[in-house]
Amino acid sequence: MKVAEKDRVVHGMLEEEYRRCKDALQSLQDKIERYPKGTLNVRKKQHKGKEYSYHYLVSREGGKVVNRHVARESIPPLRDQLKERDKYKKEIQSYKKRVAYLEGLLNTSKSRRGRIEGSSRHKPSR
Amino acid sequence: MELLRTLSSVGFFERSTLIGSWVMPIYQELYQARYVLKTLDVDFAVHMAHARKDLRADLEKIITSLGFTEYLSIGGVQKFSSGGYEVEFIAHRKGGLNDNAVPVREWNVIAQPLPFINILTEFSEEAKLDDFIIRFPIPEAFFIHKLIVAQKRKAESKQLKDLEQCSVLMNIVRDDRLHRVVQSILLSRDTKRHIRNSCDDIGFPLRRLGIE
Repeated sequence: MKVAEKDRVVHGMLEEEYRRCKDALQSLQDKIERYPKGTLNVRKKQHKGKEYSYHYLVSREGGKVVNRHVARESIPPLRDQLKERDKYKKEIQSYKKRVAYLEGLLNTSKSRRGRIEGSSRHKPSR
Repeated sequence: MELLRTLSSVGFFERSTLIGSWVMPIYQELYQARYVLKTLDVDFAVHMAHARKDLRADLEKIITSLGFTEYLSIGGVQKFSSGGYEVEFIAHRKGGLNDNAVPVREWNVIAQPLPFINILTEFSEEAKLDDFIIRFPIPEAFFIHKLIVAQKRKAESKQLKDLEQCSVLMNIVRDDRLHRVVQSILLSRDTKRHIRNSCDDIGFPLRRLGIE
């Protein structure tokens, strides 16, 4: 195969990879919305010589810090969900980096980016 | 590697195969067919057992336990992602244009249906990779599959990539095995035309496939 054709193959693969990453990023961002956001915190209070602990989910909503009380029985599933959310967040970060890297490689202008994203979202075959 | 080892341990490669560009390094190792380009998506052709087949292994659970995140693509196909790598399952589509995602009960995954995938699963072989067995299409099946799908590609670059892989494989494919694969396919006029056009593009004699 000629060198010029080889370049087209490589460039095409990069474009395809860019499209794939954008699609994956979108799907992951949709998915992460289903998980609760925030950090699990414990507040300890003393009352009549006894110490009580209360769990709160602390998150930021519209610039405000919001504390939501979490019932004791809800703590383990909430911990799992927060852990899962962190996993998705990490994955989203890795895709964002990759998209930025590919944009640099492909030297994509905004209009061109739109063209790449718009074309062939569906893989016809392997 | 850990993913392949795990899939192998649950018996996935007894009938299902690794496909896509990740097969090329195996051909390089076994047949000295040198091709260096590969993408970050790892595809598996899943053999479809009877639709009511019981769960054999919960791949969704297994793959996510390996650190992959699971999500559904726009088309409803299940994908698993880790560090930019993306795992996807492909099932054979029997004619028509129905491209609805296919739930595979046996493995608890939702696969993408594509035509001619059965060529890859029916003509496959095993190889030992480190300490486990992996299944992949024989080069002749991969070659013919690419000849067909190359002409169906919308993106020219993907077509070029398919044909480039064919150009590499045409040096190692055996005529007897090519005939066996071709004879197993119901060749429509369109499919024959696709094969003929791809052969012309790479300069491969059509008679080696046993097609007039």
